[in-house]
Amino acid sequence: MRNIDIELTTLSSTHHVEMNPSDAGFQDRYVVQEIIKEMAKNRPIDTKGKKRFKVLVLNEVDKLSREAQHSLRRTMEKYSASCRLILCCNSSSKVTEAIRSRCLNIRINAPREDQIVKVLEFIAKKENLQLPAGFAARVAEKSNRSLRRAILSFETCRVQQYPFTINQVISPMDWEEYVSEIVSDIMKEQSPKRLFQVRGKLYELLIKCIPPEILLKRLLHDLLGKLDAELKHEVCHWAAYYEHRMRLGQKAIFHLEAFIAKFMSIYKAFLIATFG
Amino acid sequence: MSLWNNCLIYGVVSFGFHAFNASPTADDAVSLRRSAIVGPWRFAMGKRDAVVVLSSDDGGDEGEGEGEGALSSSRSRSKPAAKPHLARSEPRRAKKPRVSGSRSRSSSSRQSSIVDEFQFLEEDFNEVFTGAKVTTGFGRSTAKESWVDKYKPCTFEELAVHKKKVEEVKSWFEERLITSKDNLGDHVLVITGPAGVGKSATIYVVASHLGATLCEWNTPTPTVWKEYVHNSNTGQYVSKLDEFEAFVERTRKYGLISQSSAGESKSSAILLIDDLPMTHGNVARRRLQNCLHLLVQSTHIPTAILITDYGRVDSADREARFLEELHLSLESAGARKIAFNPITSNAIKRILSKICRQEKRNVASEQIDLIAKASGGDIRHAITALQFFCLKVDWPSFSSSSPTTVYDLHFGRDETISLFHALGKFLHNKRESVSPSGKDPHPMQEKFMRLPFKMDAPEKVLSQAHGQARPIADFLHENVLDFLDEEAVDDASAVLSYLGDADVLLHSFHGAVARNYEAEGVVQSAAASIAVRGVLFGNSHPLPPRWHSIRKPKLWQSEKFSLHNKDEMLRQRFMVYNGVSSIDTSVIATEYMPACKWLQHRLQAHEVMMLSTEIEDGISLDDREVKTSGDEIEEW
Repeated sequence: MRNIDIELTTLSSTHHVEMNPSDAGFQDRYVVQEIIKEMAKNRPIDTKGKKRFKVLVLNEVDKLSREAQHSLRRTMEKYSASCRLILCCNSSSKVTEAIRSRCLNIRINAPREDQIVKVLEFIAKKENLQLPAGFAARVAEKSNRSLRRAILSFETCRVQQYPFTINQVISPMDWEEYVSEIVSDIMKEQSPKRLFQVRGKLYELLIKCIPPEILLKRLLHDLLGKLDAELKHEVCHWAAYYEHRMRLGQKAIFHLEAFIAKFMSIYKAFLIATFG
Repeated sequence: MSLWNNCLIYGVVSFGFHAFNASPTADDAVSLRRSAIVGPWRFAMGKRDAVVVLSSDDGGDEGEGEGEGALSSSRSRSKPAAKPHLARSEPRRAKKPRVSGSRSRSSSSRQSSIVDEFQFLEEDFNEVFTGAKVTTGFGRSTAKESWVDKYKPCTFEELAVHKKKVEEVKSWFEERLITSKDNLGDHVLVITGPAGVGKSATIYVVASHLGATLCEWNTPTPTVWKEYVHNSNTGQYVSKLDEFEAFVERTRKYGLISQSSAGESKSSAILLIDDLPMTHGNVARRRLQNCLHLLVQSTHIPTAILITDYGRVDSADREARFLEELHLSLESAGARKIAFNPITSNAIKRILSKICRQEKRNVASEQIDLIAKASGGDIRHAITALQFFCLKVDWPSFSSSSPTTVYDLHFGRDETISLFHALGKFLHNKRESVSPSGKDPHPMQEKFMRLPFKMDAPEKVLSQAHGQARPIADFLHENVLDFLDEEAVDDASAVLSYLGDADVLLHSFHGAVARNYEAEGVVQSAAASIAVRGVLFGNSHPLPPRWHSIRKPKLWQSEKFSLHNKDEMLRQRFMVYNGVSSIDTSVIATEYMPACKWLQHRLQAHEVMMLSTEIEDGISLDDREVKTSGDEIEEW
């Protein structure tokens, strides 16, 4: 028997515990098991002396490892009498079938743009802000249907310039700007040297904990905006290819860079073919 | 042999004791042992001719050594009563291990049965006598001995070390021994070099040539704690470093006292520190360094310190760095440094064939050649290999007339190369200028054709460098772009793709392949192979060789930072959001942090605190919290 020390913050009340087991990294499965067992042991008792249950909220279930999900399934069944589980995730495709079939699946859609606009208008009213017509819509449009993002950029705009004007610049996130910089770099020159410079920038982004998947997605997004229609299909294919390998592999930078190198190679061949 | 050696040394020590006590008893033996603990040094002409000092009044040359040897052996025979006790304490002082079999037996016998012990002693006695005979016969008669000891160089001609180096050492000692010794400042010579290049042998020969007595420090053999407790019920444990320090202190203050008891003139003594005590940790190392520093500054006896460079190829090793430091500090204290190089294979060949002649063995010259090559400049190893080779006449690989390589020998020091050397080979990608003529049975497409390597198979180079797949891949990834042609983006793409393959392979066994070490090993070597060969194949337009430095992967640093940042975020998340714990680090990194930085920036610029009424309560808190980590990131 070995002892494992895992530090994990949980949020709890008498009726519930909320936590993010994937923070524990590869040891997540012990966390899931232990917490649930612990909860089963200390069941709350209500005023009538009846045994009640506790609610366990697990976030980011899709980020749990396969082993952890497996053990979650077993514990769920065993202790179902003493606790109720609420599992949250971004994508159910990464939650195993076994768990999905044991849960009631509720899908929450991202808010539509008009819904976002409504929220923004509500905030403006509460904050006593003059909101010119169409500005909220532009913020909502840029937000990629993420309410959080919309509110954040709304606040940013408020700090940048108030009173609002209709065609006020809605600044993108700094890392997004950085990515577009990378994109224009690689469109300008295709050489190992340039690739090396780009590597430095990628490292910087990775150090800031921008997830490599999101990075790659953004890269592709920006590239597609600038590319010739002819190339789009091929570039998408390679992006998907390297994204898959990034998930299989360990060091994201290898695959990010491989994608950029591949793109450079394709783009250079295309330039030579078109302009000679 | 070492046990025998020590027996004789005890003869020497007990000699002094006889002056006080005519008949040594068991008690004496105990006290003798203690004295041995206090001062484990021995006087010797050569390592093995420990006896010589015993009565060689005028710093005996070889000829006298013979007689002395005989005398001492008779001496030890004359008092068999004291023998058992002496023998018991011997292993403490053994320098080289005896044949390992008998050694392990000696330790086991101590614990188990007395019968065994007696047998062991008997064996020892035999060895003492045969050993003594060997000494008298100029060390060249019994076949029992190892050739390394048997053919220990006695004259300058027999030394395989380069003449210049020998001359350098000799003249240094001459200067100090023959001319007046006090006006010269430095009295310490540091000899460095890999193992088996004849550092000690040179000193012995020089000493005997100059008629000087060698006083030698050898690190005592490590004590088994239990054994120590068993042997001495009193007294406290003295660490090897303490012993060494005490020894150095004594020599510095009083010179070699025992010298005068032997009736020597002080002028002809050389202090040899062959083996520095093992040190671990910075404190011990600093002590050793200080101690040696003092010795260098204040000693008046010509002193030689021998330092063996253990594979200095990997500079990351702390031990190696310490040695480096030690060299510097000794030199700064005024010690003279002479570095010995590995012995050339010609010199080794010369020695080996001479031994063959003397042993009347028939060894073909190409076999000697092979052994010399396999030894990697280590003559001790080469001689042992030769002896081993002569034990068995019909080596399978030699019976046929087929050409043999170093690797057909079943022995030999495996040559190693440093990681950077190997990386250089892979990155420079040197190839033959012409493809081999002759029809290839499986012709390949033009674009897959590559010229043959100018090096061994990559896997072999890898194994020589003891390359682990992960660091190899990381290093290659970091450096490969520098070695690509300016225009060759296709190559870069191919290389990086292969490195990605290696990465995927390396990750695959992380969880999926349950602890199956064999499979893991295969995956590891496959991944390394793919990474290396991918780099070699992908780089289809190798640049002409020029100097490039190889960088440490920046990846490691960046991983460390990003982990740290992530921890930071996780830690702040709960403080900041007060219950809204569901936010993922990626969201914090991609959305909150940039936004907050903006807000923060603006706030500082305008010096207005208009945001007291925040849109989201969380964010205002967030501002202050994230500020610190944001700044940190900026610094990086």
